[in-house]
Amino acid sequence: MAASMKSCSLVNTFRGCEQSASHMLTKKRPLPWSVLSLLSRRAAHLARQQYDVIVVGGGHAGTEAAAAAARVGAETLLVTQKIQTIGALSCNPSLGGVGKGQLVKEVDALDGLCGRAGDWAGIHFTILNRKKGPAVWGPRAQLDRQRYREFIQSELLSTPRLTVLEGSVEELLVTEPNPEEPGHHRVTGIRLANRSQPITASSVVLTTGTFLSGALFMGQTMSPGGRFGDAPSSAGLSHTLRERLGLRTGRLRTGTPPRIVKDSVDLCQAELHLPDTHPTPFSFLNKHTRCKPEEQLPCHLTTTTPGVERVVKESLHLNCHIQQDTKGPRYCPSIESRVLRFPGRSHQVWLEPEGLTSDLLYPQGLSMTMPPDMQLRLIREIPALRRAEIHTPGYGVQYDFVCPTQLSPALQVKNTQGLFLAGQINGTTGYEEAAAQGLWAGVNAAHWALSLPPVALSRTESYIGVLIDDLVCRGVTEPYRMFTSRAEFRTSLRPDNADLRLTLKGSEEVGCVSSLRYREAVRVRDSLQDALAALHALTLSTNKWRNKLPGLQMSENKNTLVTAGELLQYNHVSFEMLASVFPESLSPYAEFSQRLKIEAVYKPYCDMQKKEIERIQREENMSLPQDLDYFSLPVSLSQEVREILDRVRPSTLGSATRLQGITPAAVVNLLRYVHATNAGLKGRTHTNQPERKEERDEERCARNASLPQ
Amino acid sequence: MAGLTRSSLPPPRKALLRCITDAKGKEVLDRGLVLWFPAPHSFTGEDSVEFHIHGGTAVITAVLQALGSVPGMRPAEAGEFTRRAFQAGKLGLTEVEGLGDLIHAETEAQRRQALRQMSGDLGRLYQNWSHKLKRCLAHVEAFIDFSEDELIEDGVLNQVDTSVCHLQAEMERHLKDERKGERLRSGVQVVIAGATNAGKSSLLNTLCQRPAAIVSPMAGTTRDIVETALDIGGFPVLLSDTAGLRDSPDVVEREGVRRARERVEQADLTLVVVDCAHLLTDAQQAVDVLQTHLMCVLSSQEQPETDRCLLVLNKSDLLPECERQKLDREMRRVSGLPPVCLISCHTNDGLQDFLTVLHSSVKTLCGDPLSGAPTLTQARHRAHLQQCVAALAQYKRHRDTDLALAAEGVRLALTSLGRITGRVAAEEILDIIFKDFCIGK
Repeated sequence: MAASMKSCSLVNTFRGCEQSASHMLTKKRPLPWSVLSLLSRRAAHLARQQYDVIVVGGGHAGTEAAAAAARVGAETLLVTQKIQTIGALSCNPSLGGVGKGQLVKEVDALDGLCGRAGDWAGIHFTILNRKKGPAVWGPRAQLDRQRYREFIQSELLSTPRLTVLEGSVEELLVTEPNPEEPGHHRVTGIRLANRSQPITASSVVLTTGTFLSGALFMGQTMSPGGRFGDAPSSAGLSHTLRERLGLRTGRLRTGTPPRIVKDSVDLCQAELHLPDTHPTPFSFLNKHTRCKPEEQLPCHLTTTTPGVERVVKESLHLNCHIQQDTKGPRYCPSIESRVLRFPGRSHQVWLEPEGLTSDLLYPQGLSMTMPPDMQLRLIREIPALRRAEIHTPGYGVQYDFVCPTQLSPALQVKNTQGLFLAGQINGTTGYEEAAAQGLWAGVNAAHWALSLPPVALSRTESYIGVLIDDLVCRGVTEPYRMFTSRAEFRTSLRPDNADLRLTLKGSEEVGCVSSLRYREAVRVRDSLQDALAALHALTLSTNKWRNKLPGLQMSENKNTLVTAGELLQYNHVSFEMLASVFPESLSPYAEFSQRLKIEAVYKPYCDMQKKEIERIQREENMSLPQDLDYFSLPVSLSQEVREILDRVRPSTLGSATRLQGITPAAVVNLLRYVHATNAGLKGRTHTNQPERKEERDEERCARNASLPQ
Repeated sequence: MAGLTRSSLPPPRKALLRCITDAKGKEVLDRGLVLWFPAPHSFTGEDSVEFHIHGGTAVITAVLQALGSVPGMRPAEAGEFTRRAFQAGKLGLTEVEGLGDLIHAETEAQRRQALRQMSGDLGRLYQNWSHKLKRCLAHVEAFIDFSEDELIEDGVLNQVDTSVCHLQAEMERHLKDERKGERLRSGVQVVIAGATNAGKSSLLNTLCQRPAAIVSPMAGTTRDIVETALDIGGFPVLLSDTAGLRDSPDVVEREGVRRARERVEQADLTLVVVDCAHLLTDAQQAVDVLQTHLMCVLSSQEQPETDRCLLVLNKSDLLPECERQKLDREMRRVSGLPPVCLISCHTNDGLQDFLTVLHSSVKTLCGDPLSGAPTLTQARHRAHLQQCVAALAQYKRHRDTDLALAAEGVRLALTSLGRITGRVAAEEILDIIFKDFCIGK
């Protein structure tokens, strides 16, 4: 294995490196633990002094960032406190859901890890919202914690150009601000706690999760840290971000429930919830999941009782976390806040399996921070948990986040070149949100390091775009979670078509997609196009359709000509029915029957949205320089508008139009400015942030001169 | 363009005189110059057409409505043409100098105007709808995003169904009621009705200042509808004289009465003419008589709308002076009746006052065209409201099969309404969700 790693790292371009085998779920086995730890130590020895990209943190954001940067072609180093916890699911043992499932599909479409990891580790697959329309289907799976970790670790350790190093980051190295460019720092690398030599890099991606000035709460005790059982991260990082770079931060809180001993739970008292009989994989590359349908484990649903409310109220004075006024999430609240906010009601508690061989259950909905003895009293107020034992008590975390309006859509800190942030450090919550940001930050970190132009995803083409646009334009006031209602173009951004939306772009413009996946996406796209063309070429009169498909309900006049494509829009018409009428022309596309049905039904609505999408995209193609002095801009703008623009610093005209308080006139005036600026910089290919490009050229020259090549 | 001119497209950039019709090609709205600018040789760089039409409000409103009824057509947003021209690279820096200011002024005016309109009853109505739609959307979204994991009360969607139905019906009624633009185009339908021999035809002749209808002292002189177009203080009025209402054995007269009732039913404004000699001098009895009379005349309307009629007490010259003054005083005092005018078609006594009352009624029915823009905005409002109603139909269509598409309908409806009342952000919807539901996960 070590040999194969070495040989891979000699390959210069990723595109040339075929990874076909490693992507196929069925062909891949995670490495045994002993080999893993051996490998990681070797990796530590191999660590060089200089990388293109350094990723700090090995959670969902960090692993996706490191893998994506390496896929793009950057020499990448992943630094984490414990290699053993890479890919750990710190909170709930599940992936996906409504809105979040879309993010998983999109990360997968961009060749990220979490979709395939989910297929590998899933032990209970369901499509949520099955009855509510394909645009809001929520693919979700309960996961086996160990399998998930194994997959992520073996995937990372076999990724070419990626080195994993165990260590604690003591300091983030940045240059003094350039006097010519007020406020502009540049990242140069990191310093580790037990090493005197700094490790240099052009880009650093910080994915520190809840570890930034993290504090753990249980009852009346508070201890520094970001996750139970892990050392707190150094204060140096926090200091650099806040004091040297002057970044505004805020404080958020979250929590996790106690883990319960499975054998002590009376599951008969809870409602049984079975998984789908045919598990649907997350990944576009997988035809089936590792877990066989019959091997899947069930979930159980139970509810709280008035006794739960009583215990919460009695323990309030012993509960530091809940008394703090730090912003907690409205949608993943602790049982304490649920009970206090909606008293007198019973609340749902899901009892979820932690793994195929795990002895524990995860009580989703019972996140709590009261003292452990009270936790036990509380859970025993629930009938199914009357004799339950707690394995590990629940606890709360408070942590700093960096106000994400200080980031560009590439997730780069606006005032520090080469510094990227992803995950909870940006004020989000959830594995999927973290993975999505991590992937995109990793891609852009690699682009920056390799002198490629930054890439952006629009909210018109992806949930990842919605997520990032919301973060950098609006900021957060509470932990941000994805919902389908956040996406205006939800009917076009469906889980089923994430590959069409992103894989081709991911390969052609971003460079983060393997050729295997690219070829598959092209095949799918072409087949779908051919199939739709075939469907629209097949025309029969209503009468003839009725003859061929008895029971067909159609209101049209009997001589009206109807294409098979039009017919497919009807509720009760399936692709299989049409294929039975025209086996010759349609049966070759049988594998796409569900996708074709969805395409047919949604097409009119997507067409309607297309114009609006095009308008927004045109506006998004017009970028606004980040260092624009809005107060002295020689265009007609009201003071109020100038203040808004100065505060938010939208990166494109598109995001400027979405700001509250920006008038159409202001937009036209800005347009005029953009037009003039772009005309002045004619000939530059990368119009996205032209000033920066210029700066970067000089900076690269300087850097190259100072480093022995 | 071809659809609105009943002919093929003219050669590019050539002005041709054409009839401009409604979208169905039935009714001619105006004759004017039309121009076609195929892309990219146009202001915005896209395919464009220009209609040069006459400046009257009625014509503008009618043409805008005709354009609005073409699928895919909508009024431009403020500054949109310039923006598009910019995006197509059609406008250089110098050409655009000052355009922003111009648009700023324009939108400022629009904003002020919108505010003005929004502060009235209409504004409150739209705000109210917008608020209800927001709740509907929030509840559908809550159901989509959370119902799998959370207890969302049963019947949330049923409540939304009811609200959507109500809103749709209300909006449709509103759209039907607000026919001001159409009235301006085709004239206000004013119908003279009443008992035989009350002087209805005399009133018509007096108003149009020519003997358009035959008058005689014989009851039942007018059998058919007599129509004449009038200009009342600048408003187009289509005045119809009708047969006196009475039961008659005469087949021809019975048909006349039927037509009269039909016309009253369609009327925007009914002038109920009463011979004042029939009124006793006791004020209360006079009111009773008038009310009975009104009900009798307006009975053909589904919902008798007394605010859509004027009472004309004719033949005041036949009353002794003191009686006439007394009646006049009392009629001004009574409530529960539509405006009452005491006139004499014979001596033209009281006619000036009557014309003033008539003018103000017609003006209310047409809206105030003196500030040209509101009619324009109203055409915009109408377009957005129509989109809103159509979008709500989408909700109903998909409610049971695809909730995502159904929600999209409500969202579109809200966006359309939002163009009148102000935008609605996704965050607002989420706020409602969290306020109304106990969302845990």
